[in-house]
Formats: sequence, C-alpha cells, structure tokens
Amino acid sequence: MSITYIEAIREAQARALAEDPRVFIYGQDIGSFGGAFKATKNLANDYPGRVMDAPISEDAIIGLGVGAAIEGRRPIIEMQYADFSTVAFNQIVNQAATLFWRTNVPCPITIRLPCGGTSGSGPFHSQTMESIYAHYPGLVVMTPATVEDAYSMLLEAVAIDDPVVFCEHKLLYYHLKADKLPNEALPTGKARIARQGRDMTIVAYSAMVHEALAAADELATEGSQVEVVDLRSVKPLDTDTVMASVARTGRLLCVGESWPWGGVTAEVIARVASEGFGLLDAPPQRLNAKDTPVPYHPNLWAVHRPTARSIAVAARNVLRK
Amino acid sequence: MPQLGESIAEAAIVSFLVKTGETVEADQDIIEVETSKATLNLVAPCRGRIDTFAAKLSESYPVGAVLGYLEATAEDIARQGLDVPAPEGDGKGPEKTSAGESTEGNGGGKKVEPTVRGLPVPANVAGASYMSPRMKARIAELGLHAADLAGIAGSGAAGRVTIQDFEKFIDKLEKSFFSQASTMRVAVADAMRRSWTRPLATVALPVCFDPMLAHRKVCRPKPGPALYGLRALAVALAENRAPAGRLIGNKIVHPPAMDIGFAVEAEDGVLVPVIRNADKTSLQELVARYDELVELARQRKLPVEATGGSIATVTNFGTFGLTWATPIPLPEQTLVLGMGAARRAPHWDVANGKFIPVMEANLTLSFDHRVLDGGAAGRLLARVAALLQSPERL
Amino acid sequence: MLLARVLDDKFASLYRAGKIHGGVFLGRGQEALSVAMGMVLRPGDVFAPLIRDAAGRLAFGEPILDAVRTYLGSALGPMRAREGNVHRGRPKEGLLPMISHLGAMISVVNGALLARRFKGDTEAIGAASIGDGATSTGAFHEALNQAAVEKLPLIVVVANNQYAYSTPTERQFACRSLADRAVGYGMEPQTVDGTDLGSCLKALGRAAEAARNGRGPQLIVANLLRLCGHGEHDDANYVLQKLKSSPLGRDCLKVAEEELQCRNWADANTIAAWRGESVQKVEEAVAMVQREPGPDPFKENWCALASKHLSEGGGEV
Repeated sequence: MSITYIEAIREAQARALAEDPRVFIYGQDIGSFGGAFKATKNLANDYPGRVMDAPISEDAIIGLGVGAAIEGRRPIIEMQYADFSTVAFNQIVNQAATLFWRTNVPCPITIRLPCGGTSGSGPFHSQTMESIYAHYPGLVVMTPATVEDAYSMLLEAVAIDDPVVFCEHKLLYYHLKADKLPNEALPTGKARIARQGRDMTIVAYSAMVHEALAAADELATEGSQVEVVDLRSVKPLDTDTVMASVARTGRLLCVGESWPWGGVTAEVIARVASEGFGLLDAPPQRLNAKDTPVPYHPNLWAVHRPTARSIAVAARNVLRK
Repeated sequence: MPQLGESIAEAAIVSFLVKTGETVEADQDIIEVETSKATLNLVAPCRGRIDTFAAKLSESYPVGAVLGYLEATAEDIARQGLDVPAPEGDGKGPEKTSAGESTEGNGGGKKVEPTVRGLPVPANVAGASYMSPRMKARIAELGLHAADLAGIAGSGAAGRVTIQDFEKFIDKLEKSFFSQASTMRVAVADAMRRSWTRPLATVALPVCFDPMLAHRKVCRPKPGPALYGLRALAVALAENRAPAGRLIGNKIVHPPAMDIGFAVEAEDGVLVPVIRNADKTSLQELVARYDELVELARQRKLPVEATGGSIATVTNFGTFGLTWATPIPLPEQTLVLGMGAARRAPHWDVANGKFIPVMEANLTLSFDHRVLDGGAAGRLLARVAALLQSPERL
Repeated sequence: MLLARVLDDKFASLYRAGKIHGGVFLGRGQEALSVAMGMVLRPGDVFAPLIRDAAGRLAFGEPILDAVRTYLGSALGPMRAREGNVHRGRPKEGLLPMISHLGAMISVVNGALLARRFKGDTEAIGAASIGDGATSTGAFHEALNQAAVEKLPLIVVVANNQYAYSTPTERQFACRSLADRAVGYGMEPQTVDGTDLGSCLKALGRAAEAARNGRGPQLIVANLLRLCGHGEHDDANYVLQKLKSSPLGRDCLKVAEEELQCRNWADANTIAAWRGESVQKVEEAVAMVQREPGPDPFKENWCALASKHLSEGGGEV
C-alpha cells in the first residue's frame, strides 16, 4: 500500500473531522466535487454539513473562518491556489493574525494553500507564499516536504490555537509517495536532517528538499558529503538545528522556491551570519527563483526555479571557496 | 593533477609530451609541469589512448583537477589496480585518476596563476591570506596568531587555508614532540612579532676596538663593552634626537630622555634593563649601576622601574662570538645598536703603506625604516663609532 | 442615546485638551439608528459595531469603562492599550472589535453565526454596522453575498450619513439607492429615516424578527447626516449647507426629546435630570480611568502567538 502526499492531506482532514466535532472545512469546490486537487474527496459525503462549498470570495472565506474560530470552531480553509490568497491577504494578516494579540482570544484557523509551480501553470498558479506570511507576527507557517509531514503537520495545525498557513506543494501532491502514514512526528518548530554530511549544509524546505537531496547525490559521486536540512516550518524557524549543522560543516547554502528579496533564504542566512559568524568557513550563499513572475513555458519554468542541477552548481561554488 | 609534494597546491602546464590519439604505456611521461619548486613530468596511469587534454598550456591547475582523458580497456585499467575506487580517506587531497570523471566544477574552471615564479606559496595574495570567521574563531580559541600558522598549505580557493587544512595541521602538531614554551619565550615572541610589523633595515660599520680595549685595561672598575656602546649611543643621540623618534601617524615623537636599555641574556630569553639619562653621566660613573643591573637581570630580580621606557637598546652579540647580526628593535623603539665580536683583522695603514693588525668588530644599527633611511642611520652609526674610538670622551 | 452623546462630547473635549493619543471618532447624529441596533440585539447575539456606534454599544451592554479606558490608553481596558479609540470589543461576549479595513467585519459575523448554527443555536442573530462609503468595498460585497448564500440571520445596517470622510455619495455609488443592492444579493431591504428614533426602532425590530424567523439576511439603509467631522481632527467644512438645513440634517437626539415631550412621556426637567445623570456617569468614569496606569512596555510579553512554544523570541523586549 502506498499513499501520496495529497492522500495524506485528505486522510489528515478526515481524521480531524472524525476526532474533533469543532472542525469543518470551507473552500471552493471542496464539497461533492472533492476539491480541485481532490484533497477533500468524499469528505462532504462522510461528514455532511461540515465540508462546505464557498463562493469565489476569498476575503469573506477567511473572515468567516475567523468568526467561526472566535466562537470556538476549528475551521480548515482550503484556498484553491496559494496565489489567490492575496485576495484574502487583509483578512489573514490583519484579522486572523492580530486577533489574539489585540483581544487575548485565540484564532485557531488553518489555511491550506496549494503552493508551488508545476510545468505550464504560469504566474498565478505557481506561487509559494511562505515568505510573505512568515513576515507577519501572529501566524504559524508550515512547509511540509514529505508525505509523513503533510499528514502529521496538518493534524498539528488544526490542533494549534493560532492561525496556521499550511503551504502544501502541488508538485508533491501526486508524485511523492510513502508506504504508510506515521504514528509520530517531530514537533512543529523542529527541522529534520534529511541527509547527513560533513562538507556543507544545504537548508531547504518543501519541494526544494527533494531537489537538494538529488543535488547531494550528484555531489556524493564527486566525493563531497552534503548535509540537507528540511526546515518543515519556516515560522517558527528552527535556528538551533541549522546552526548545529553549520557548526559541523562550516559551509551553508540555503535554497528556496520563492523570490530572492527578503524571503526564507535571506532569513536563514541573516540568522547564521549574525549568530554563527564564527562557524562559517566560507561566505553563506542562497539560491532562489529568478526575480520575475513564474513563467508559463516549460523551458522557461525549468530555469526559473532552483533544480537539482542548479543547486549542485551553487553547492560546488560554496565548496570551492 | 597529482599531489606533487607536501606543500604543493598547484602546478602549471609547460608542455604536452604526447599528442591526442597517441597510444601510451603505463608510466610513460605525458605532461610536463612546473611547480614552485621544480619542473617534472606527469605519467600515464595505465596503457591507453590519449582521448583529450582538458588542460591548457601555461595555465595552472590545482591538485585534483582533471587534465585530460585516457581511453583504456578494462584489462589495462585492472592491471594497474585502478578499477578499485580509491578509499574514502580524510587527510589526503583527492588523488583520482580521471577515467570517467565529470569535469564540471572540479576546480578545472578556477585558475590560479602564480604571479611570481618560485614563491613557496600560491601567489594570489588575497586568497592566501584570507582567514574565514571560523578560522579566526578557532585561532582565537587556541591562543594562536597568524604568524604561528604561516607554514600551513591551503587547499581552498586560490590557495587559502580552510578550516579542514587548519584542523589537520593542529592534529599533526599534537602528534609531534613538543615542549612547553616558557612565559619568557612567549613574551619575547609576542614582542618580536609586534616589532616585525614595521619595515626594518640594518646598516653596519667596522670599528677599530683598540682604543676602547686600551681604555678599558686601565679602568677601575672595568666597564663592560656594552656600556661603552650604550654611552656612545646616548651621547650621539643627545646631539641629535630625531633618529630615535617614533613615527605615530604623520608625526615623529622625539625621545624625552636618553634612557637606553641593554640586552642581557637570561634563561630562556632576553631582559632589557635601562640606564636612565645615560647622556648626563660619565662612563666611569655608570659602571656600578650597570654591573648591578646585570646581576639583577641574571637573577630575574629586576625591579619594574629598571625596565621599560627605554628609547633605544644596545646588544653585545659579540659575547656569543658572533661577528654580524641584525637584532630586532623592541616594538616601542626605532633603533637597536649591535656590537659584534672583535677579531684581529688587517687594516691598511696609508701613511706607512702596509697592513697593520687591529682589533676590529662590526657595529650594526637595525632601525625602523619608516623613521630614518640609510643616510641618517649611517651618520648615527659613524658618530657612535667615532665616540667608541675616542673612549676618553665618554 | 443621551449617554452616548454625552460620552462623545466628553471625548471631543478630551481630544482638544490633548489628553487622547490618536484619533477620536464620534457618532453625533447617528445615535437613534445605532441605539435601535443595540436594543433589538439580545445577550447571546453577535454585534459588529463600527466607528460611530457609541449608542449601539452601550445598548448592547458594553460597559462605559471599556470606551473610556480604550480612548485614554489604560492598561486595564479590554484591548490592554494594544488598540485604541473605537477599535475595541469583547469577542467572547459577541461584541466584535473592528479592524480598520471597512467591510471586513461582516464576514466575521457570518462566521460567528455559522458557528452558532453548528452548535444548534437557532436563536442567535447578528448585526453589522456600516457606512455608505464602506458599501463600496469588495469585502462588503463578498460578505453580503456569502450571508445570503448561507441564509444567515444577519442584519446589515447602513448608516448613509451622506459623506465618507469628505466624499459625497454621488462619488461613492451610482445606483438609485443603496437599498436596491439588496435585490442583487438576495437580501430583504428596508429604507428608514435615520433621524427618527421611532422609525429606526420599528425597522430594526422588523429586521430582527425576520432574521430570527429564518428569512435570511436583512439590509437596512438609514438616511441621516453626519453631525461631526470624520474624526475630531476634521472640521467637515465640505458638508453642504443645504444638507445641514434639510430634514436630513436634523439632530436625532433633539427630535427624540421633542417627541417625548410632545407625547408627554417625559418633560424638560426629566430630560435634564437624565442628562445630568449621564454627565455624572461619564465624569466619574473619566476621573477613575485617568488615575489608571498605561501599559508598561517592559512588562509586555511581545508575543503574538497563543502557542508560546512556537513563538520566536517571544517574551523578550
């Protein structure tokens, strides 16, 4: 039996609905249709009245979630694509994220964002939004890279009393498979060492973890042992694990699929440079998507985002210094 | 590119001894290279046909770079034992044969060009001297200085020392025999290191010691030779203080008083007691004080007020039988006067047209070349020499 | 209404005395409409007031100290001085604190009502207060549509006071009447004279009953005139004189007082006594709060998450 990343997300939602009567799911096309990516397949059937189709009103969708959360519900909101969450940006960052700080009343809303590019999806069906949301205080931002984390972290997101932006990666939905669902997981806020190595550290998250692992395999044939750190959540960001890895290797490359200016990669490097300066044997580097909207054509798309190949080139540069 | 010697990090291609397409035998010379130490030939790893040369003439390649490809049969490869992959060892630079290796990023693109042939260190200066934050932290942790690490060969970009190079070096050190350096030794080392941050030069003058030796014979008590030098230096500097000045920024700070120190060997190092206002007291009157200071120094009982604050030092290395030396001034001083051992030497007597034997010794003056040049140094030394040859003036 | 007016006047003078940090927003002229909203709502209902709803808040049960503490920056206020002036509420008691983005609160009321429905509470209704200007926002549009699709027991009360800051209605919307929009959403509309307390009470009463009976969301558009600046920093000299002298420009408080006296339900003395009581209540509250401390930045935990273990650097200044 094998289970895909999207099936794991579905299973987590099913379990949340089963175990906690306060949970309901709200989003576009998620009812009998089962969602644009089938993340809620059959759930409307199994839990009548608790998996509801919304109109195309992202602002009101999140606002409704906040209101329900104030009244003690645990809403899971599915945005059809992460890219459309900008229509709800105000409600996410000004309503949901500030509620607890302003009123001492928590806002336990989970917002699922299908993130990331797939070939041919173009500028508005490809964005990764973790950097923008991580910037705002009051939000937890998760970026699961594995089938197991997609499952466990979504369950934890629902249980957390704060608004969680859950960044799922569309490229992993059907392509990533695991043998079974896990019984336990690292807690949110802890990064995972996806691969051990002594020569350099690559910090990555979401789909980029897999690209980094492939790059590490390529570098292993050249005699370099690369350590890959999977952040799992970008906020909170596990500085300790990253720092410990750099303490072992002395060299750092941070890879992210979002744009260069002020994203997760910039944050990681800023932390390592200011708190771990004396650990670095070479200048830390980062690799991001190109500073343009995500292009449509596969030729352009293939070069726009970091890939195993471009990560390997960047890694060699870091090793060479 | 193989490891051609312990500290060799790269070599330049001088010529290709065979052509592409040619068949070569195992161990046949195929590429002539030049390191900073020698020119030598690289050999074919096994029998085969030269497929391509990746390296270019006159360019330098670091150890481990792919220089070319040799097409060989599995048999021939196995015959040389090259079919077994090299063990994953720490401590050695990559010593791989190039069969089937990818060239991408294997250092082949990064060229290191020694700008001066024959230097023992790859001469991309920026690279060689760059110390990463991690290195600096580690060095600070171990209480070391860059001067202590001058001998480490670097394997990083442009020959810089990486943290791995450094840790290997420390590991090796710990396997060597070592004795503890005394605090005196460490203190002297630090003083010399700091002094050496200035450009130092030395001038020398042979001096006839006969007048001084004759004068000394009839003195009671007998002044030590260094005291003669000290007194002569004091008188000469009192006449013109500038040569002993210190350069701070764009100002020359003149010495306030003729407090001159003299070097005394003590156990594991050197102590420098100081005679204050040596220009104001005659040689004869200084003897008692001088002898007292020497004794105190030898017993390591010098009081604090008797050391420090000297504007120049005199060292009589002649006591060790040395005829010539370039002592290093203390970090806070511009000058050190050295006196060598006297020997009987022939001196041309112009008046009588023949060689006469005289006792001759070298005086050297080592100085901070930022403050004075050869001319001024020479004039000072000549004045000291003149005074030493008329010791009754002292 | 009287208490709200006295309270607003007090805030205005405190503002001019320099005792208030930030803006002051009054509801002068809207007390009748606002109080009607607060009165048809019961404890257990959901209320999202906006910036001119002092009267409605008091009627709903908000303690007067909440208003005074939030305006004067007392650490003991419901927002703990992290928010000021009209940005206050008690979410667990159904009184939702506004965010500044107009229209954004309506969908929150929708969510609260949906949650009540999940809990099996079929009694609760919700009310959201909004101005003519805010009806132009996308958030307003999305929320009304959503409420109608879900058939929620929501009352949206539009106080059309003719100006959104300095923008007159002809620059705000092109439809004949804001009430016409109800048809577009699938809501039941009412139009009412916002200066007349009796009319307001009737309209709100009808809407509340309709909502409680499951007829879905209700839209009330009240016409009146803003009798103060957008904020106390604004002198509103752009308000047309002809509006001020029209029936629209009547002061609802005076209209109500005249009506009471006309119908012999109260005489001038009684009204004066009521005013005196209000003044006293307000002055006592202000005197008390002025002695209270402001927030101590070094005692703040500077943490925006309820889950402390997920906070980065929370708890440190």
